[in-house]
Amino acid sequence: MNSFNFLKTASLALALASAAQAKDIKLLNVSYDPTRELYQEVNAAFAKSWKAKTGDTVTIQQSHGGAGKQARAVIDGLQADVVTLALAYDIDAIAEKARLFPADWQKRLPHNSAPYTSTIIFLVRKGNPKGIKDWDDLVKPGVSVITPNPKTSGGARWNYLAAWGYVLEKTGNDEAKARDFIAKLFKNVPVLDSGARGATTTFVQRGIGDVFISWENEAFLAVKEFGADKVEIIVPSVSILAEPPVTVVDKFAKKHGTEAVAKAYLEFLYSDAGQDIVGKHFYRPRSEKAAAKYANVFTKLKLFTIDEVFGGWQKAQKAHFNDGGVFDQIYKPQ
Amino acid sequence: MKFNKLVLAAVVLGAQTVSSNLRADAATDQLDALKKQIEQLTEKVLILEKQATTAKIQQAPAVSLNTNGLAGVAADPRVEQLDQKVRILERQRELDLESAAEKAKQTPRVSLGANGFSVTSADSNFVFKVRGYVQADSRLFASDHVGSTANDTFLIRRARPILEGTLYEKYDFRVMTDFATGINSSAANNGFLQDAYLNARFLPEFQVQIGKMKEPVGLERLQSGANLLFVERGYPTQLVPNRDVGLQIQGDLFAGKLRYEAGVFNGVGDGASGDVDASDDEKDIAGRLFATPFKDSGTDALRGLGFGVAGTYGNQDGAGLVSKYKSPGQQQFFAYRSGAGTATAPNVVADGDHWRVSPQASYYWGPFGLFGEYVISDQRVRRDAGTSSFAHVQNTAWQVAASFILTGEEDSWKGFTPKNPFNPAKGGWGAWQLAARVGQFDVDNRVFSTSGSLADSATSASGATSWSVGLNWYFNKNVKLNFDYEQTDFTGGTSAFLKNSEKVFFTRAQVSF
Repeated sequence: MNSFNFLKTASLALALASAAQAKDIKLLNVSYDPTRELYQEVNAAFAKSWKAKTGDTVTIQQSHGGAGKQARAVIDGLQADVVTLALAYDIDAIAEKARLFPADWQKRLPHNSAPYTSTIIFLVRKGNPKGIKDWDDLVKPGVSVITPNPKTSGGARWNYLAAWGYVLEKTGNDEAKARDFIAKLFKNVPVLDSGARGATTTFVQRGIGDVFISWENEAFLAVKEFGADKVEIIVPSVSILAEPPVTVVDKFAKKHGTEAVAKAYLEFLYSDAGQDIVGKHFYRPRSEKAAAKYANVFTKLKLFTIDEVFGGWQKAQKAHFNDGGVFDQIYKPQ
Repeated sequence: MKFNKLVLAAVVLGAQTVSSNLRADAATDQLDALKKQIEQLTEKVLILEKQATTAKIQQAPAVSLNTNGLAGVAADPRVEQLDQKVRILERQRELDLESAAEKAKQTPRVSLGANGFSVTSADSNFVFKVRGYVQADSRLFASDHVGSTANDTFLIRRARPILEGTLYEKYDFRVMTDFATGINSSAANNGFLQDAYLNARFLPEFQVQIGKMKEPVGLERLQSGANLLFVERGYPTQLVPNRDVGLQIQGDLFAGKLRYEAGVFNGVGDGASGDVDASDDEKDIAGRLFATPFKDSGTDALRGLGFGVAGTYGNQDGAGLVSKYKSPGQQQFFAYRSGAGTATAPNVVADGDHWRVSPQASYYWGPFGLFGEYVISDQRVRRDAGTSSFAHVQNTAWQVAASFILTGEEDSWKGFTPKNPFNPAKGGWGAWQLAARVGQFDVDNRVFSTSGSLADSATSASGATSWSVGLNWYFNKNVKLNFDYEQTDFTGGTSAFLKNSEKVFFTRAQVSF
């Protein structure tokens, strides 16, 4: 073998060896507060599936907090490969302010990039000593309500809008009554946590409050973890359809060389396996198969969407939660 | 019901105290006080319950209290309200602490202390530091040195503010200027600007430094001016480059046991600095390897041993690339001829290869320190005297310096911190260090060749030997005094200056931070 052929053969062997070498891949999923347990299981299942498919080992790191805070962290430079936040507005903010992915990111995955839905319900103490049945009971004098801060928590914004939408529904779109209702409701809130998980801690572990306005999944998790002898779920007559969305953070994923695996990770949420995990963790699956499997878990109630009542997140955010918005006008720290 | 009222009254009193005076800073104390009250009440209730049971008072209500609050006071709404208030206060306090911790994580850290002033971003990726040092010296020359023209003088030897920092975690920068006596701003050698470089730390093993910096050659030259053992550096420093503009790769290999530096620079004369290549298009390469193979050893006596070799190579052309050499008292004892280039006024310039090599070593063990270096500088020069002739000149220099810290601190190449800073009221006298050095400079004898000499044998010496002793008093990490005596004897030369010994007493007051 002459030296040229030897070099050629050696280079080819080296290239093949490199290609065959399994990679260690790391992803960072920046998510909102109550999804810790969900993504722990999703991550393990996806890693197993990816390993079987490609031979690569993928490790997904999780970061959780109030959705608004998490979005701000990504805008400020936290190099997330994917974001899985509580509401589209916070992901829009990342697209708008940091330009890390296109503004039409919601079109990239089915169901406006929301692989599951949830809603807002109540958690009360065992026996429901204050007789909480619907939203009206939350503004009664002497009822202590736990909900996080809408300025920092996506879940809290859903809570707020669910209450507002209830009043509009009940009063035939009387905005003044809705405003008055929300003002009364927040007068009954003794502590504002920055995120939903902190609010759960306040209600369940610290024993504060009579009723906790909660993500549906978080309420189920609390009952599961702390026992039906301590807390119980109350489903109001009307609530909001929450659609927590997900997207790849293109710029950071490209920088990390993780675009393909990040995309596959989010697509996994829509798979049968992913949807089953979603249902198992008390989120409402999109797929009919998983929805049917978990149908008996979720109580049927009347749900309205943010688009129907508020004209979308941008409008809702601007009117209610931006600085100087309705929430700033009605909320007085106690 | 008497004890029940007592409990209620006390709890109301305690809770009111807390709720009426709530402030973030006082909340913990108030909660502790309340807990204490509750504990006391618990004891009282237990006693009363026992008494009630003994007296068969069956109508006594069931009350149970614990230190976490009023857990099960039988269905009294007022007590439940108070219990909730206490819990809310506790939770609010918890959230305030979480919020403060979160805020602290995002707040830049400002530091002012012995290491200067610095601001560090919350994620530590950005650092900005202001440092500097000032040296106020005196030189007192012995009066028996006939021929010396040096005056006894006070002078500011160095006055160097330093700005340095880090950008995006990996990119360090440093700008050091000097405003001391005799500093000038010539285009070729702007003494005002000492260091101005960017160092990209891609990996500990691979870093790229660009700008004006010290060329990586002389051991003592590479030591910071603020950490010198003696007031003036030894002879080897005069044969190695000082600061130059270029690009250098550097890094630490084998867990820091081997340091390498290699760079390409404009090229400067012996002991000289430069800002721009005003002489030629040629560039110098410089490199250094320095090993500290026992730095992690369990044997104390070996840990401080380091040794290495450094060198430069380049083609240098021009008058500005041949150097003059000075005694420790900063008096010139050698200079190449610098005339008009005529038969009666010869002129010597650099014209060709210039290489240097320098083996070097240092050793520190507890309070004892020792270092030494040897330098060969081999330079091709041209003598213009109507006609031109060429010669290779090989000058050499060496020094060995030893030190011992009388107060027992552990010495190092980067200095040390006194254990007991100077403060007589508290019995602190700082740190005291003795030092001694011997060194020699040898000028190549070919310089004085009778046929076409390159230097004037009357005013230039063929060598100089110096010895020095010193006492250094470190008040603290930032302030020190040096007291040195250095004596130099010259060989060769016929002038009165060279035939007599130079004896200089140096002092230095230094503030560095």
